Amino acid sequence: MQKDSQKTKLRPGQLSRPKNLNLFTIRLPINALVSILHRATGCVLFLILPVILLLLQFSLSSAQHYETVIAILHSPFIKLMLLGLAWAFFHHFFAGIRHLAMDVHWMTTLMKARYTSKVVLVLGVLATLVLAVKIWM
Amino acid sequence: MLIELLTKRYPGMRAWLTQRLSALVMAVYSVFAVARFLIVQPNSYEAWVDFFQPLWWRIATLLFWISLCIHAWLGIRDVFKDYVPNPSVRDVLDKLLVVSLWVYLVWATWLLLG
Ligand code: HEM
Ligand code: HEM
Repeated sequence: MQKDSQKTKLRPGQLSRPKNLNLFTIRLPINALVSILHRATGCVLFLILPVILLLLQFSLSSAQHYETVIAILHSPFIKLMLLGLAWAFFHHFFAGIRHLAMDVHWMTTLMKARYTSKVVLVLGVLATLVLAVKIWM
Repeated sequence: MLIELLTKRYPGMRAWLTQRLSALVMAVYSVFAVARFLIVQPNSYEAWVDFFQPLWWRIATLLFWISLCIHAWLGIRDVFKDYVPNPSVRDVLDKLLVVSLWVYLVWATWLLLG
């Protein structure tokens, strides 16, 4: 890395800070991981909003449509997708709560932030596992 | 000072606070909704319709949905600001975002109160 940045030719006026555009060589600290997953899950949740509304409307519209929705939700592939989406919600939820806690200056030192990052990741996976057990048992 | 920070001169502060308030509303509703679902266990079409029958529940759900739309607007707008450097492209995306959220909001209102 050191070598790479020395090799780079500087244009006049360009700052001589090291540049590293190869994402695979950047170590992602756990706080950064929780943060980027919070963003990614927020975007995923936004994208599935119309699907949620469609399912809700359909399931409430008549007994027949309700059965159709239930049948769809019970197919194994859809169940897997639901679990993925459920994880997205759980992660966004727990990371969001952590965010709010830090906004009021709670758990903000680096050590504590790393600890709460782990808690957030574990809680998200745990909640998804509980749901998985509930819908497959 | 806090009031000063929330005036029009600091739109970022307002957005920040709005995003947090909407997050709180949604967090409370989510916990409540899961609890209610587990207690009521709506296991048939009739039970499912009953689940959405009480007016207070429809209003709570609508409040959740309003918060969600505001929250998603601010959130996705920030994502566009970070990743879409071209101002005219970003402008189009922002408009699409607003239109889609309005559609979802009207749709949800019609579902819950219509
Ligand atoms: C996350 C989505 C869901 C999954 C993965 C899921 C999964 C399951 C599974 C595995 C069963 C038992 C096996 C079966 O009868 O096929 C079941 C039964 C049932 N679920 Fe769901 N479920 C989901 C959502 C719902 C919702 C939202 C409702 C009602 C509003 C519901 C109503 C029922 C009913 C009535 C039964 C009993 C069906 C029977 O005994 O044949 N499910 N569900
Ligand atoms: C349980 C409810 C929720 C809580 C507690 C919550 C919490 C938060 C918080 C605190 C932020 C601010 C993060 C920041 O400033 O960097 C945020 C951002 C965001 N949220 Fe939520 N949220 C919730 C639900 C949702 C839902 C349902 C959606 C999707 C429609 C969503 C989409 C977003 C997006 C796109 C961002 C921007 C992410 C970013 O800028 O990195 N959130 N959320």
